[in-house]
Amino acid sequence: MARIELCNLEKFFGAVQAVKNLSCTIEDGEFVVFVGPSGCGKTTTLRMIAGFEDPSAGEIRIDGRVVNDLEPRDRGLGMVFQSHALFPHKNVAQNIEFGLRMKNVPPADRVKRVREVAEMVRIGHMLEKMPNQCSGGESQRVALARTLVTNPSTFLLDEPLSSLDAKLRRELRAECDRLHQTLKRTFIYVTHDQEEAMTLADRIVVMRSGEIVQIGSPMEIYSNPVNYFVADFFGSPSMNLLAGEILRDSASTRFHTALFQVALPERFKVAKPGKATLGIRPEHVGVSVSAKGDVELPVRLVEPLGKDTLLYFDAGTERAFIAVTEGLGMADIKVGERVALSLDQRRLHLFDAEGRRMDAGT
Amino acid sequence: MSIAVVPAEKAQACLPSTRELSRRRAITRFRWSILGPLLALLIFVLMPVLFLQLYFSLHQWTVYLGTWWDAEYVGLDLFKEVMTDPRFGWAVVRSLAFATGSTIGCFLTGFALAYLMYKPFRGQAFYYIIFILPMLTVPVVVAYTAEMMLYQSGPLNDLITRIIGIEFKPAWLTNPHIALPAVMLLEIWNWAPFSFIIMLAGLSAIPKEPVEAAEILGASKWHIFWEVQLPLLRPVIFLALVLRFLEAMAEFPKTWALLQGGPGTATETLPVYIFLTTWQYFQISKGAAMSYIVMLLMVVIVLFAIRLLRREKRSLDTMYAKAVARQQELM
Amino acid sequence: MRKSQRQRLSAVVRYFVLSMWALVAFFPIYWMISTSFKPDTQWFAWPPVYFPDPPTLSNYLNVWFGAEEYAATQYAISSQKPLISLANSTIIASVSTLLAVLFGSVIAYGVSRYRILSEARMFQLLMLRMIPPIVVVAPLSLYYSALGLLDTMTGLILIYFITSLPYAVWMMKSFIDEVPREIEQAAEILGASRWRTVFEVVLPLVRSGLVATFLFILILTWSEYLLALIITKTQVTTLPIELSKYQGSTEGRVYGRQAALAVGITVPLMIAGLIIRKHLARGFSFGMVRR
Repeated sequence: MARIELCNLEKFFGAVQAVKNLSCTIEDGEFVVFVGPSGCGKTTTLRMIAGFEDPSAGEIRIDGRVVNDLEPRDRGLGMVFQSHALFPHKNVAQNIEFGLRMKNVPPADRVKRVREVAEMVRIGHMLEKMPNQCSGGESQRVALARTLVTNPSTFLLDEPLSSLDAKLRRELRAECDRLHQTLKRTFIYVTHDQEEAMTLADRIVVMRSGEIVQIGSPMEIYSNPVNYFVADFFGSPSMNLLAGEILRDSASTRFHTALFQVALPERFKVAKPGKATLGIRPEHVGVSVSAKGDVELPVRLVEPLGKDTLLYFDAGTERAFIAVTEGLGMADIKVGERVALSLDQRRLHLFDAEGRRMDAGT
Repeated sequence: MSIAVVPAEKAQACLPSTRELSRRRAITRFRWSILGPLLALLIFVLMPVLFLQLYFSLHQWTVYLGTWWDAEYVGLDLFKEVMTDPRFGWAVVRSLAFATGSTIGCFLTGFALAYLMYKPFRGQAFYYIIFILPMLTVPVVVAYTAEMMLYQSGPLNDLITRIIGIEFKPAWLTNPHIALPAVMLLEIWNWAPFSFIIMLAGLSAIPKEPVEAAEILGASKWHIFWEVQLPLLRPVIFLALVLRFLEAMAEFPKTWALLQGGPGTATETLPVYIFLTTWQYFQISKGAAMSYIVMLLMVVIVLFAIRLLRREKRSLDTMYAKAVARQQELM
Repeated sequence: MRKSQRQRLSAVVRYFVLSMWALVAFFPIYWMISTSFKPDTQWFAWPPVYFPDPPTLSNYLNVWFGAEEYAATQYAISSQKPLISLANSTIIASVSTLLAVLFGSVIAYGVSRYRILSEARMFQLLMLRMIPPIVVVAPLSLYYSALGLLDTMTGLILIYFITSLPYAVWMMKSFIDEVPREIEQAAEILGASRWRTVFEVVLPLVRSGLVATFLFILILTWSEYLLALIITKTQVTTLPIELSKYQGSTEGRVYGRQAALAVGITVPLMIAGLIIRKHLARGFSFGMVRR
């Protein structure tokens, strides 16, 4: 059992506050991903859980027991580092068995366990190799094995895939997922990559400037971002965000931008008129050459990706307005051709001048 | 773009391009224009010196003879004389004892200080400055300051007496039994900062993450020290020991300027004995023979040291450089 | 024990041990300085006087400025004014160090970029320096006397240059290694010739390294004793030799005067050393520390 509670954690580095009053509960067996831009405090939080940083204020509880005073080695945790942190002077087998040696496990048992764990991450064939002979992916597998071997109740992972190339990253991501399914332990994972967060997490903790912005399942975060920042952070390509104004008259509520206006659905009835931002994800923008839509715009750029085709439009904002269409059906549209765009009313988001979501929630 | 397969007979050896050739030539030119003059300098300065050394160790010469070339050829007699000279033997023993003792002392002190200092803490900079000061004092100055401090009724004895409460007045510099240890302590005081700086650099260069990984895997501070830090410190440790040992073998100001090898011959290390033989007893030839033997001894030690250090450097390089990266460099 | 208690305890132990050694490290230096300000009655008083009472500048005035007064009684060898020794030391050390750094840097550049010396040779170069000078000083002095270099500044400069070169090469190489090759390649593609690249791009980037190497070798050369002792006789004296001239045939030791001279020799070096203290590790690492 490993339930981790973070209670009002704060961390100051000199005058800089890296973590502000952070509270969060991580249930046993969950895969929780802390995600956010660089400097948001996610790694600091992880290191506080591990015991490498002392909180300036607040408590960390594991299974109800306050662990602030415990050394990292006594907290029953396992950790995988960004740089794999293998012992350069020991070979793979020696690296893996290290935790067992620290617990005085007899040699025969050690060998067995090392082999077991190595097979689990599929490095059983390279136990004699030295770390400098291992590729990036192999090194991370060794790091995983080294952590697995001590059977910790919770796994802490600090951006373990950041130093790998895209293909390896996908491979090892699947590996992490698989391990979590098999072991059913708590995984606390830190990353700045929203894709990793979306694919791996049971729950995502979005952080920014030392604070938690939103906690929720990937679905919740994606569909109901609590503010502009979260909406923008998740999704690839990112959500289209248009600055404009909400205007209301007796008949309807409308959103005006420089180039067009759209009617807003019922749920925005109580939205305050004034400056706001409209959000719609590229995959929720319908494209048609023939039919009518909410707005007509000329195509600026066509990106056929195979599975999808991306169409770029100029909507008067800094970033291009993107629409995603499935397949290559739209791939031969000419640049400059005018098409009708329709915005899925159920998927509209509105953010007020401060970036907060404006509606009663769906 | 397809790659044509060239039949074996038609394939030619891959010649370097003309650019590559001229580049190599330019580098060779550069190399010899720089190293050439220096090599010449070394040849013109060191070769004659070594030749003279050899000459005088094979020819008996005294100041009463006119020129150098009047010296009488005595073959290996001088070498025999040196090797059977008990005073020489003692000088060797003293030098080795001095070098070993002071090296170990410097190392342990330096390592201990470095271990206490390598993690940042308040006041670290202040302590660092104080700790390197002894190394910045000129060795002769150390010698004379030591004299001012260590005479029997001097401040050092006075302080220690006050601290421990009992009368403590050893005659550091005039008692032949403790003179050499006293000079060793001086040497340690003077050069512990050297080991300190090297070990501090070594400790700071150990990557932080493997140490943290070991911590979370359950290693105690002791385990971490033995299993993770020490193995990675091997090259630096060897360096600190080797360099200090070699320099300690050559130590001169503290034994000569301070004590002239005395009291009696208590601090007569090899450099002192050679100095005495050559410039006080004016036995130039015997001194030359002695110098030769010592030089050969030191060359052997030095060659061993080179091999040791190169091996350590190589292991350090392989540990930290990924094999993949190295291959890419070669391509 | 709680973690926070444990942390505090280890901090206390650390401060205690470090402070103990700090006292040990500093006391002799303190003694030297305080003795230099003591009037002659307090040089070897018993019980020892820890703080000069009253402090006096007479030692300094005597040693550094009043040649006659001090040449008269206390030592027998020769009457070199310390100021002349100071000038000698400065010139000899500066010139030889400058030459060593100059040549050393060029060689270091060649080693760093073009491997003109193999790793084996580099270590052999270092070890050359490690052979005790005592074994060659005798024939060296004879050779020098034949060449007329004995007792000359040129002679000392030459030998100091040779012995400093290995350090200069090693230190500058480590600094030049840190300048990424891409920067030179970028300059090359932009049209710079090799010389311009070196002067306008590489050199400014190793400027602090040059200063550090220069001061480092200066410290070594300035404090050198044995070679100076052998090679200088009457015409030339360096400061370390000057100091040892006090060890003459006298009734008592002129501690105060010696201390005043010693302070004058040591303080500039300490200042130089403190200036480059962040680079000292580099001068001593010789490739054994990963950067």
